[in-house]
Amino acid sequence: MKRPPRILGLVPASGYDALEEQRAKAESRAGKLAQQLEEYRANSRVWKTKAEDALGELRKAQEATAAAQKQFRQIEKQRDEHSRNAQKLKEELDKVRRLQQERAAELADLKQRLAESERDLVIAREQLMAIEVKLDILEGAANVLDGRTRELLTRRSGLGTESGTAV
Amino acid sequence: MMSGGAGPAPYLTIIATGRNDDFGGDFNGRFFRALHFNHQQLVAAGITHEFVFVEWRPIDKRPLLASLLADEFADVSSLSLRSFVVDPAYHEALSLNPRLQFQEFIAKNVGIRRARGAFVLTTNTDIYFSRGVIARLKETALEPGVLYRAARHDLMSALDVSDIGWDVLEDERNCEIVNAIRPPLFTNASGDFLLIDHQTSQQIRGFNEVYRVAKIHIDGNFCMKAYVSDIPIVDIGAPIYHVGRGTLHAMRGMYNARPGDAPWGDIRWKSDVVYDNGDGWGLGFAPEREIDRGTTFLAFDWEAVGPMVDLRRVVSAGLQQEKAL
Repeated sequence: MKRPPRILGLVPASGYDALEEQRAKAESRAGKLAQQLEEYRANSRVWKTKAEDALGELRKAQEATAAAQKQFRQIEKQRDEHSRNAQKLKEELDKVRRLQQERAAELADLKQRLAESERDLVIAREQLMAIEVKLDILEGAANVLDGRTRELLTRRSGLGTESGTAV
Repeated sequence: MMSGGAGPAPYLTIIATGRNDDFGGDFNGRFFRALHFNHQQLVAAGITHEFVFVEWRPIDKRPLLASLLADEFADVSSLSLRSFVVDPAYHEALSLNPRLQFQEFIAKNVGIRRARGAFVLTTNTDIYFSRGVIARLKETALEPGVLYRAARHDLMSALDVSDIGWDVLEDERNCEIVNAIRPPLFTNASGDFLLIDHQTSQQIRGFNEVYRVAKIHIDGNFCMKAYVSDIPIVDIGAPIYHVGRGTLHAMRGMYNARPGDAPWGDIRWKSDVVYDNGDGWGLGFAPEREIDRGTTFLAFDWEAVGPMVDLRRVVSAGLQQEKAL
């Protein structure tokens, strides 16, 4: 006769208490679980935000990388350009140096020619002086001879008068 | 025959030239005073010396200056005072410019050629030696192969020169102008003091006899000849004195507008040329005869007269230097 309360849906008080305890435990556990779930959800939101932030940072990094690559390419391009310019400048410099050497050689040559010209000029001037002096001598001699000739002719004319020649 | 004189050669021959024409006023008086003074100083310093006087183009019917000189210096040995009287025909025969009345440098060459001294000084008749010049001569340390020059100090012409002495000559207040001399040629009144050793004087063959159109700057031309002949020219370091500034300075202004008419020739002639006198320089081939004690006459002979024109003997300084090398 022990089974009739169960049949009637009745449970003994001890069972009821146990069940009540189980229910309370289950509720408590459900509450904990709900809290945990809420925490997880909150964490999930944080992580999601972090993930989004990281994603943003990643994008920024990718953009920066792209920009750096672009800049790098530009720098490389500039470097190539500078290199070409440097080469050009080097060639120009070599050309200028060659020209400078040529000019230096020309200058030395000109200096030598100038010195030779100066020497020639001095010699020419001296020779001109000598010629002028020689002309002075010739002119002096011509004048003296002219004077002597006139004197001689005058004397002869005088002699002619004495000898009866008409003057 | 060349009159070389007898006895030991003196240390110094002093050559001057002139004639009895009163050139510049009281020519003889100025000459004798300077000669007395210089002779006294040289004797006092113990410097053996001879004076060689060349009378160029003596004036007819006037006493020879050589004779007056011999009378004035009767106490001086004929070895120490020698005179050469040059036949006036040489002046005419050598003339290339009738305006030149006195060919002073050919006359000096007559003296240079016949000098006996170890050193030969060509100067003018009214030049006084300074104490410094006497001191340099006394040292007998002059170098051969060097042409010595001295700056001429011109004293005021108003000075009383009747009894001239060191006190008058050295008094700076009496000095009117200093004719400074500068390297390399040391010209400027160079005709008043050109001192060189005997051998070099004979090698140079005296003053220019090729260019006889002017006598001005012939002295400077001699310095040029010495210079291109690599003969060092130096200042002897003491002055000589002259009373007044000389006839050239006095008369120069008269010929500024017509320099070709000047009695010394055209001052503009190119006196930097170099000459090369012939073998007969200084009337070397003129016949000589003694006409008085210590006085020799150089008789005229066409053999002693070089060609009227000898253009080969005018050379440029550069060519002369090349020739010397």
